[in-house]
Amino acid sequence: MQAVILAAGEGKRLRPLTHTMPKAMVPVANRPILEYIIRALEKNGIREIIVVVGYKKEHVIRHLNTLDVPVRVVVQEKQLGTAHALACAAPLITGDFLLLPGDNYVDTASIARIMREKNAVLTWEHPHPSNFGVLVIKDGLVKEVIEKPQEAPGFTVSTGIFSLDPSFLRYLEETEIPDAVNRMIRAGTPLKAVAAADWQDAVYPWDLLKLNAALLRDVRQERAGRSGPGVVIRGRVSIGKGTTIGPNTTIMGPAVIGDDCDIGANCVVMPETSIGARVRVEPFTMIGQSVVLDDVNIGSHSRITEAVVGTGSHLGDHATTFPTKTIFSIEREMIGAKFGAIIGDQMRSAPFCIFRNCIVGNDVVIDDGKTIYGEIPDGAKLL
Amino acid sequence: MCGIVGYIGWRDAAPLIIEGLRRLEYRGYDSFGVATENGDIRVVKKTGRISDNHLDLSALSGTIGIGHTRWATHGVPNEQNAHPHTDCTGAIAVVHNGIIENYAVLRRKLTEKGHHFRSETDTEVIAHLIEEYYTGDLLAAVTETVRHLEGSYAILALAKDDPRIVAARRSSPLVLGIGDGEMLCASDVTPLLDHTERVTFLEDGDIAALTPARIDVYHDGIPVERQVDHITWSVDDAKKGGFTHYMLKEIYEQPQAFYNTIKGLEGDSRLAMVRIAPELTVAACGTSYHAALIFRYLAEYYGRKRVNVELASEFKYYAPPIRELVIAVSQSGETADTLAAIDQAKAHNCPALAITNVLGSTITRKADWTLFMCAGPEISVAATKSFTAQLAVFMAMVNTMCDRQFDDVLVHAHCSIERVLSSELGKAVALISGAEEMFYVGRGVFYPVALEGALKMKEISYIHAEGYAAGELKHGPFALLSPETPVVAICMPGRTYGVMLSNIKEMKARGAPIIGIGVEGDTEVEHVVDIFIPVPDDHPMVRVLTVSVVLQLLAYRTACALNRDIDKPRNLAKSVTVE
Repeated sequence: MQAVILAAGEGKRLRPLTHTMPKAMVPVANRPILEYIIRALEKNGIREIIVVVGYKKEHVIRHLNTLDVPVRVVVQEKQLGTAHALACAAPLITGDFLLLPGDNYVDTASIARIMREKNAVLTWEHPHPSNFGVLVIKDGLVKEVIEKPQEAPGFTVSTGIFSLDPSFLRYLEETEIPDAVNRMIRAGTPLKAVAAADWQDAVYPWDLLKLNAALLRDVRQERAGRSGPGVVIRGRVSIGKGTTIGPNTTIMGPAVIGDDCDIGANCVVMPETSIGARVRVEPFTMIGQSVVLDDVNIGSHSRITEAVVGTGSHLGDHATTFPTKTIFSIEREMIGAKFGAIIGDQMRSAPFCIFRNCIVGNDVVIDDGKTIYGEIPDGAKLL
Repeated sequence: MCGIVGYIGWRDAAPLIIEGLRRLEYRGYDSFGVATENGDIRVVKKTGRISDNHLDLSALSGTIGIGHTRWATHGVPNEQNAHPHTDCTGAIAVVHNGIIENYAVLRRKLTEKGHHFRSETDTEVIAHLIEEYYTGDLLAAVTETVRHLEGSYAILALAKDDPRIVAARRSSPLVLGIGDGEMLCASDVTPLLDHTERVTFLEDGDIAALTPARIDVYHDGIPVERQVDHITWSVDDAKKGGFTHYMLKEIYEQPQAFYNTIKGLEGDSRLAMVRIAPELTVAACGTSYHAALIFRYLAEYYGRKRVNVELASEFKYYAPPIRELVIAVSQSGETADTLAAIDQAKAHNCPALAITNVLGSTITRKADWTLFMCAGPEISVAATKSFTAQLAVFMAMVNTMCDRQFDDVLVHAHCSIERVLSSELGKAVALISGAEEMFYVGRGVFYPVALEGALKMKEISYIHAEGYAAGELKHGPFALLSPETPVVAICMPGRTYGVMLSNIKEMKARGAPIIGIGVEGDTEVEHVVDIFIPVPDDHPMVRVLTVSVVLQLLAYRTACALNRDIDKPRNLAKSVTVE
């Protein structure tokens, strides 16, 4: 069986993280989302994998080359919708195939379930269905997909994962997959609804925290690097090569720390935390329920919780993220969310900054003693 | 990374395997070898590239064989260390791609049992382990052997009295090809595609026994079925892994190449030599020469150390070196002129230090010491990642001269390189691709960066591009400026900023369209130039890297727009092995 993964989209609602990489490449528990999907396919014995790339395609291709799973790459030159993306891969499709979005997490068991069916969709019960394609289901068959409805008729949504036969390809004049699916159903081909075992989507940047927590449950325990005296490590913890953990630091799993990090003395890493490669955490700092990407530097006496910190950012000493709830406007949608901070790449903040439920863009420079809330655009200087 | 190939069937195995290894050369090319079985096991090994060597295959008869092309990351690439490896009796031959992590322990145990080791590789323990368990059934012996191995491997094994190839994999790639009365196996599909379209990908922990007629796959000792896939793609697609050209692939590998090189040199005591030496002379050609010129500016400014930089091809015409340390730089380690420069240095009793990307290349044998850049194999004729990796070695030297004050800068420099990979160059490419000649200008350390930018443009787009020190423009080249000659001007904050800015204004006054490269947020430069390309406002040393990468991309995108043969530009070869 073939599998087509669509990884051409940008994921605008995930900005600022997707300014430098496509959504499929956003790392969760130190691995890009796309990699989890490929692994799940691999475990089900699906070896002919086609990945459609577009936005920042070189980043995706480069990463695919580091995997030992052979994949074929198809380029969608312009992002003209998901149906068009699949159409780009159509010449390579020779039989029944799985169609998957490259930017959602799905587990191995769900793939096994849908593989057995022909013309089926994996479904998921979601408390906020309006962000997804809501499914109208009767007798186990999908009657209609209603994309992002104001008033959702139910809680069952489409995961975007389909098992299809090649005849589906003739409906691809539409721009988006759900429209093509609706046309197929209207033309008389029934579409079965199959419930997924585990599926997670990150629509907004703060969803990454939840996704991260979920994926950390399966983290492989590895202990490389060096630990100083008095280091306490509890639960599932993976520590990368070349990393040093300073004296008296406590790490509570599930947590993952990448290669060549330097975690200072007397630090605390709380559960549900992912720390990338080459991250430096200075002494007396606490990090919890957060995603810290590569090459980040976090100053002494900081408290980082419920935060995403982008690549290469430097947080000065005494930085605090303060989880509260406010309303954000993302892609002209108003949405309330509670989290500490989403910080883009290469941010520089001086000591004593408080990040209070904010989304900070890339390359932002912040002077000392500021309290930051709301949205800060790329390149802003808060002096 | 290494590449392995195996063949079992009705044709002569050796030439077929050699051809397959050539396809895998992008995975490594510092030594190679083949073993065939025909009543007994014969092995032939050689150092160097498969393409450059003519291997005498007359000793290798038989229709069963395995081969290996190596890219040594530790341990010297000589014939002893080249694969295939055999056991004590020479009845078992093994090729391996991967790393056996517990090989030291195994080696000690096997030595105690009386096994005699001939190489320094981790692979040889596999051959001896198989010997230990071999009782006439190779499959059983390999199954038992892999149980003791930790780490990653893709293994192919042959035994004298067993008419099969046994393959095993864990965390290293291995693909089987199903032909007509013949079976193949290799690290990836490229060597298989000449012979068959039907392939089977082994899974982690699988062990397969190949005969000309069938493949039996076992997992945990239980026979399993593995799906047969049809491959319809071409060899070239497979090797480039989705990139349109090797050059682009290698441009995108630069953040990693730079970081790996910096990491690889951490704590290397040989770096201290540049600090002790009273004077330094660097000899290099082409792109390496430009990297050396950049080193000169950095070493003299930050390290306060005199550095002479000479073209290796002209080195012999100057007064011979007296007492200085001679540093010779060559990506391939085979550049004839650079090798001659080392000979010259040694003839005058000067110590010689080599910088190269290829372990075991000629330069490493001639020089007193060698520093390696960890760029990985470079296929594209236009050097990109090897240039960045050379700069990594040079910057590590400067860092040593300055008591490691740039540790932090160098360790995180790859972030900025990563960022400029997505630079928006559309307008600049449109402008340049319509031009027949153009100029690159810079001052200070950005003068050699401009030279390198011009070289890349010449090499792959065939546009006549000249690099100049901005101050030299008025001494002649100014006469060539017109609205038809675009100028790429590098204008960075620092000592050269003010004078560079006025140079740009002068060139603009002659009507030349200016493409300016400055730091993000520099509105003054942005205002003056016609097209502005920003790089991150990082440490000045890192800006050298980011600007270089932007200029590589500019040349690449222009050559794409002009439909040039990017990976194999006309009249050029990857390594120049004649004077």
